[in-house]
Amino acid sequence: MRKQRRFSLLVLVVLVGVLLASALVSAETVTLTLGSWRVDDVEQVNRLLDAFHKSHPDIRIRFNPTNPPDYNAVLRTQLTGGTGPDLMYVRSFKVGQDLFAEGYLEPLTGLEGLEENFSVGSRAAWSLNDVPFAVPFMAVSHGIYYNVDLFKKHNLEIPQTWEELLQVAETLKAAGVIPFSNGSKDEWDMNEIVFMNLLPNFIGGREARLEYETGEVPFNDAKMVSAFKALQDIAPYLPPGQEGVSYYDAQQLFLLGRAAMFFGGSWDVAFFVSSEPDFEWSVFATPAPEGRPTVVTFHPDAGLGLNSASPHKEAGLKFLTWLTTVEAAQILADEIPGFYPLNQTSITLQDKHANDFYALHEGKDVDARFVWPELQSGDPDGYLLTQTAALAVVKGSMTPEEAADYLQEGLETWFTPTQKFKK
Amino acid sequence: MRHRRTNLIHYLILLAWSLIVLFPVWTMLVNSLKKQLDIFRDPFVFPPSPNLAGYRYVLQDSDFLLYCWNTLFVVGLTIFVTLFIGSLASYALAFWKGKASKFLYLLFLSGIMIPIRLGTINIFQIVRSLGLMGSLYGLIPVYIAWGLPMAVFVLTTFIQELPRELIEVAEIDGASRMRIYSNIIVPLIRPALGTVAIINLINIWNDIWFPLIFNLKESHRTLMLGVTYFFGTYQTDWTKVLVVLTLATLPIILLYILMSKQFIKGLTAGAIKG
Amino acid sequence: MAQAKRRFRKDHWFFFTIPALVIYVWFMAFPLFNSMRMSFYQGTGLIPTQFVGLQNYVELFTNPLFRDRLLGALKNTCILFAICMGIQNTLGLLFANILAGRLKGRSVFRTIIFLPATMSVLVTGFLWKLILNPHWGAVNQILVRFGLKQFEGYPWLGKPETAMIMVGLVTAWQWVGIPTMIFLAGFQGISEDVLEAASIDGASALQIFWKVKLPLLTPVIGLVAVMTFVGNFNAFDIVFAMTNARGAPEYSTDIMGTLFYRIGIAGQHPVAQPNMGVGASIATVIFFILFLGVSMWMYLRERGSRVQ
Repeated sequence: MRKQRRFSLLVLVVLVGVLLASALVSAETVTLTLGSWRVDDVEQVNRLLDAFHKSHPDIRIRFNPTNPPDYNAVLRTQLTGGTGPDLMYVRSFKVGQDLFAEGYLEPLTGLEGLEENFSVGSRAAWSLNDVPFAVPFMAVSHGIYYNVDLFKKHNLEIPQTWEELLQVAETLKAAGVIPFSNGSKDEWDMNEIVFMNLLPNFIGGREARLEYETGEVPFNDAKMVSAFKALQDIAPYLPPGQEGVSYYDAQQLFLLGRAAMFFGGSWDVAFFVSSEPDFEWSVFATPAPEGRPTVVTFHPDAGLGLNSASPHKEAGLKFLTWLTTVEAAQILADEIPGFYPLNQTSITLQDKHANDFYALHEGKDVDARFVWPELQSGDPDGYLLTQTAALAVVKGSMTPEEAADYLQEGLETWFTPTQKFKK
Repeated sequence: MRHRRTNLIHYLILLAWSLIVLFPVWTMLVNSLKKQLDIFRDPFVFPPSPNLAGYRYVLQDSDFLLYCWNTLFVVGLTIFVTLFIGSLASYALAFWKGKASKFLYLLFLSGIMIPIRLGTINIFQIVRSLGLMGSLYGLIPVYIAWGLPMAVFVLTTFIQELPRELIEVAEIDGASRMRIYSNIIVPLIRPALGTVAIINLINIWNDIWFPLIFNLKESHRTLMLGVTYFFGTYQTDWTKVLVVLTLATLPIILLYILMSKQFIKGLTAGAIKG
Repeated sequence: MAQAKRRFRKDHWFFFTIPALVIYVWFMAFPLFNSMRMSFYQGTGLIPTQFVGLQNYVELFTNPLFRDRLLGALKNTCILFAICMGIQNTLGLLFANILAGRLKGRSVFRTIIFLPATMSVLVTGFLWKLILNPHWGAVNQILVRFGLKQFEGYPWLGKPETAMIMVGLVTAWQWVGIPTMIFLAGFQGISEDVLEAASIDGASALQIFWKVKLPLLTPVIGLVAVMTFVGNFNAFDIVFAMTNARGAPEYSTDIMGTLFYRIGIAGQHPVAQPNMGVGASIATVIFFILFLGVSMWMYLRERGSRVQ
């Protein structure tokens, strides 16, 4: 009898103990999910998160990316239905601003470290009416990749001006090598990676963009025409059947050594290194025409935001604060070569290729991709207009002048600052 | 003599088509044995030194088998229920004359006339209110409902084409409707049931939309959802994608052969009834 | 009185439909029809809240930004339907007719014909892009080897003139197994006696096919036609996998399914703000086209059976 009672007492004590312990543990650690379109970097981001977990043992963050073509639609459905991730990757400018305006993102005014560590320009990409809604996370740079061996073989130097670039292309073509591997099958890359890569070299950087956006100059001015003209210049040096060459094909044509140059972005670095480690390539900034300064397209790409409906906001804010630190920036830079932290403190990159690419914009004027900041909030949006125009110029169905007029006429249907140029 | 010549022509047609079918399948197979870049160096030849890394990764280091099992579970349960309740409804709609019957038939059909993604947010909320978000079980009722219009459409057509005398004779013998269903209708529409099963199998097997939307937890992921993790922002690991999809074709082919056995049985049933 | 009793007998037909009806209405019909209401609303996000009456339809049919795309998508979907009817279903009928015979090895051929249908559209798209590629594609290599030098580097999927046809042919290639299977099931419903009688009368195989089998197969042909029609107007994946959601090049492969997806679900790259109101009105247009087509088919079928 007694034995039995003692035994039940023991069981009770153990039970209570277990219950208490589990309650304590669950009160101590909270788990948050981090949504993203970067299925490519699962391991790398997990290492970044591990570093955070080390200094914050009470918080666990689980990286849960969605495949990129579906990310926006899936995220929207989940946010609308109330099961969105606690933390999420947020696109710069319009996409993020829309989500914020609809109330899905927590305002981050006064977040520790945000103002100190990031430039006005970077913060603007994730702000609406000066209210920040995401921590600037990573940026991508643009340039032209080249095959070192082919350049050596044909005695070519890195072109310093647009005119020299065309000469290089001509030499290569005469020697039977495809000069540029890019094509227009996927459409977006001809616009985003070729046209917007060369564009600031013909119109200028941020200051020049603001002139268009405030209505000082029309979108079909001589500078814009010259940018479309540049696209027309390189059209003969694209691969045969370029209409059927996708972005993916373009990467392969370059890697296989059939094409000597490739208009690309820093995000390609990791792919090139992993698929063909022995291949010798390097990169140069897209050159400006004689007499103009070179401007590099350095585009803010991903920020990290906090779901306004998250039950773990406090923990989320701790993570975002940590992200503003140099420590986080350094881990990001080392783990994901080709995606650059936006932290103002200068960072050294371990990856040689990524560092070469990063060096391209140092000491030069930089800007985001032209249509991103202001030209996406109407219909037809600036992106669609430049894409249609760029493809038509490459194909030869529009002259550069017609392309610029097409851009201006499309924008003046809704973009107020430029409406005064309406004919 | 004439018979043999037609047979020859028939063989030639089938062989020609088989070539057209097997060439891309061959492409899939050989490229799953290559490194990423070699795919584009020479896409259509067998690699001199096959690279098994893709297979090793998928079979050893990934959750391929678990995902495969999850998919089979969902597919199996869904198809079974769809066929059962779908054939019951079709039996009724094929024999029931009247306005209500026609209305129900059109109501069922309208399910395949609207792009299914339109209903996403509503379906999402319904599944969420049942507490099935993130779970495989949430997929099952949605897939059943998704498969029913096609099932009702195909099965009703086939039941309507059955010889009436067979059923009338049974009715005169005093058989109940349920008995007629299980003893006469189901055996006779086996080929159609097989067809519906296979169409549903393909749709569900390849769907990634609902698994994505329902945000399935790791242990509940389906095979195709697993595949999407190989599709990057700017790059895709095609070797791994091809390995998974080559392997994923095997169970479907097996299921197809299994289900198409129904044709043979259907054939015998047809012979008896003739 | 007696009639009323018969109407509500214990095994009334209605009871047989209940299980299917409940699941179907709960998880599909209700969510879909409820979402169609959104075509009367405007606003941001997935659940627009501002009632605008028929404004979305007016936009869709009069604003050139939408109208041109709608008409283009309608045209391209019709091309897709024509290719699927003309090639996929005709081949399916031919294969089924052959396979219904007593040919040796028919189960092997049946499996081969069905094989592409088991493949994910993701991989079909990848493989055919590889085969049609201007640089390493097999199609051009073969054509050039046969002396057709003009096809060297020809971008089949990059030219607006050929892209839709290629997408249609690949669709037909992939799905031909399904009509084959349905026709085969249909052929097996045809009584052997009828065929034997015809063959004793001295009819050739071709005559038997045209005069005996085909008329008996009419309902199944109708079924396949309707399934293709409905399938094509909802198709989406194959264009997504072979060209892109914008229907590249120059919207020449933009079909109803991609138009709906682009406007109503995903939003246009890179802004990705869906216009659910207009999206829902596109879905409603698709619904009306299909509903009209299917009703016509039901009417014709009923008239046909009455004549018989």
